[in-house]
Amino acid sequence: MTLRNARIIFWAGTLVSVAIFAWLTWDFHRQEEAYAHTSKIDDRVVAGKKVWHKYNCNNCHTILGFGGYYAPDMTKAYYRLGESNIISIVMQPQEIYRDSFRKMPNLGVTEAEAADLVQFLHWTANIENRKWPPQDEKYVQAARLRDEQPEKVRKTDIVLGACGGCHSFANQGRDIAGDFGELARDLDYDRETLVRFMLDPRSVNSDSSMPAQNITPETAGIIADFILSLR
Amino acid sequence: MTIEYQSQKVALPYMQLSLVLFILQVVLGLWLAANYAFTLPQGLVDMLSFATTRAIHTNLLVAWMLLGFMGGAYFILPAECERELHSTKIAWLQLILFAAAAVAAVVGFLFGWTQGKPLLEIPVPLDLVIVVAALLFLYNILMTVLRAEKRSVLQWMLVGGVLFLALMYLFGIPFYSSLNADYYYWWWVIHLWVEGAWELITAAIIAFIILRVTGVERKVVEKWLYVETGLFLFTGIVGTGHHYYWIGAPDYWLWWGGIFSALEPLPILLMVVDTWLHIRERKNPIVNRLIWIYIVGLALYHFVGAGVWGFIHTLPPINYYTHGSQITVSHGHMAFFGAYALLNLTVFYFAMPQFKGIEKYDAKAGHWGFWTMGVSMFFLCLVFGVAGILQVYLERFLDIGYMTAHMSMMFWFKTAIVLGLVFLAGAITTVYHLFTLRPAMQTA
Repeated sequence: MTLRNARIIFWAGTLVSVAIFAWLTWDFHRQEEAYAHTSKIDDRVVAGKKVWHKYNCNNCHTILGFGGYYAPDMTKAYYRLGESNIISIVMQPQEIYRDSFRKMPNLGVTEAEAADLVQFLHWTANIENRKWPPQDEKYVQAARLRDEQPEKVRKTDIVLGACGGCHSFANQGRDIAGDFGELARDLDYDRETLVRFMLDPRSVNSDSSMPAQNITPETAGIIADFILSLR
Repeated sequence: MTIEYQSQKVALPYMQLSLVLFILQVVLGLWLAANYAFTLPQGLVDMLSFATTRAIHTNLLVAWMLLGFMGGAYFILPAECERELHSTKIAWLQLILFAAAAVAAVVGFLFGWTQGKPLLEIPVPLDLVIVVAALLFLYNILMTVLRAEKRSVLQWMLVGGVLFLALMYLFGIPFYSSLNADYYYWWWVIHLWVEGAWELITAAIIAFIILRVTGVERKVVEKWLYVETGLFLFTGIVGTGHHYYWIGAPDYWLWWGGIFSALEPLPILLMVVDTWLHIRERKNPIVNRLIWIYIVGLALYHFVGAGVWGFIHTLPPINYYTHGSQITVSHGHMAFFGAYALLNLTVFYFAMPQFKGIEKYDAKAGHWGFWTMGVSMFFLCLVFGVAGILQVYLERFLDIGYMTAHMSMMFWFKTAIVLGLVFLAGAITTVYHLFTLRPAMQTA
């Protein structure tokens, strides 16, 4: 091979690749709305993204699979945890993870910032990214089912949708605050106390580290029936 | 062997600072592993979080790599252009600006001053200082090359690589309101650096060192250089697509990204072949065995870490499960060490004896350093790989949750700390050796 041919290989290889990449980039932007719903990015989503950056969340958590691998992926966190769980975890991690083997720093996130963060994570969770991460797809499906066909929702779906961020049942959900099977065995509350506990835990047990749940009394009733049925 | 041009001396402080940052980076890496291996108390986590430490660990990596490249370029260009550098004053000013920005960034991270984007945490005002430093560097090397009598492929490949590197950095600076576009362009910095611009710089630098060390014909080396860099860019640019599988982008990325990135190991394999050929057909005697070991080690480790380890999980059906797990950590460490840490150390072992005018140096500590680092890093990556496979299997196949998966990793990260300490010992030995090079005893 002559030097001239080698030079031709260099320029041809480079320019072909640049041309393909430029064309794909143009097309990526053309289809951005369909995949990322960019028109739904409002001021609060942007504010939430700034909160995400401000507290350097992305160096412990991955999002879209990128970032630190130290803490769970946040792409579908909105569906996995739900709004009230995200807010309570972010605002008082030292309580939520008091007994956990892994801690999250208390970053001093304000209530307004936490609310914006939820908006950002909600938008993110709706990016059409071919059902990644695989382990969170069940939460996405469950949330969509709850929204679209509430009549088809099974009781366990409701319970895990609301409580699965901290409690587990039959190997579903996250076991931070105990498995429902075990909790139910030791529980001595009646139905009415249990409902009151969910809506405001400290009014029943002043030592509780469970955050107040943002659910209707009806939903709390369904969850209470479910837990009591496990006794 | 001594330096041929006085202005080459300006490369020395770049290399020394680079080596100091290397050690710091390893120390912080050990602290990160401890975060995985043990349950740290809340008070400590509040004070110095994993996120802050990781930002410092990765930024130190980038800083010592870039300092090494810049020092390497300043060392090589006078010899390659057969003239002094355009200005050593500019080189000093650039070094001071760069170092000041790096120190300010690290202190800033400790106090929460961050842009909050992984690897690109440096806040915009400091970005601007770095841009100024980069412009000074570009101006300096361009003037050196433009005013040279001699023209070579190697000069232009080096300058082109640096220009490409600087240009891509700009895409990481703005705020993107869409996360999906944010990460689209984030990879223009990260991927097009490590699988584009940095490969050009590596190829050019290593071509120069091979020329000088083995004494093979320039025409042959430059031909290989063209073909390799051409293949690097051909596969690497569209290969960026292997990061776009799960970000919310059209389906064709699975094909373009998958096929092109599957080809990415080819140019590295070519590098292994040409290094081997050049060494076999060497015209010069082997004076310092260590530099030859580094050249071969770089080629092989580059291929294993970046090529093989990257290929393992680059295809979409596999990547769906392994993306964003400790498997990426394994690949990242193996590739950065194999390709770029070893490149910089090769350059330092080529250049640093020359500053002292040493022909043949006492290399005992250097050999120990090389093998300790090389072996411990390999095992470290295997341990990360085991942790990653466990994580993927438990969390994504058995679906039993992140917590369980991560608890099973604690043992492997305790192992990682031990290996990390061995690596640190190797790194300190190497750096100590480079700082205290002595002529070898004459043994007839």
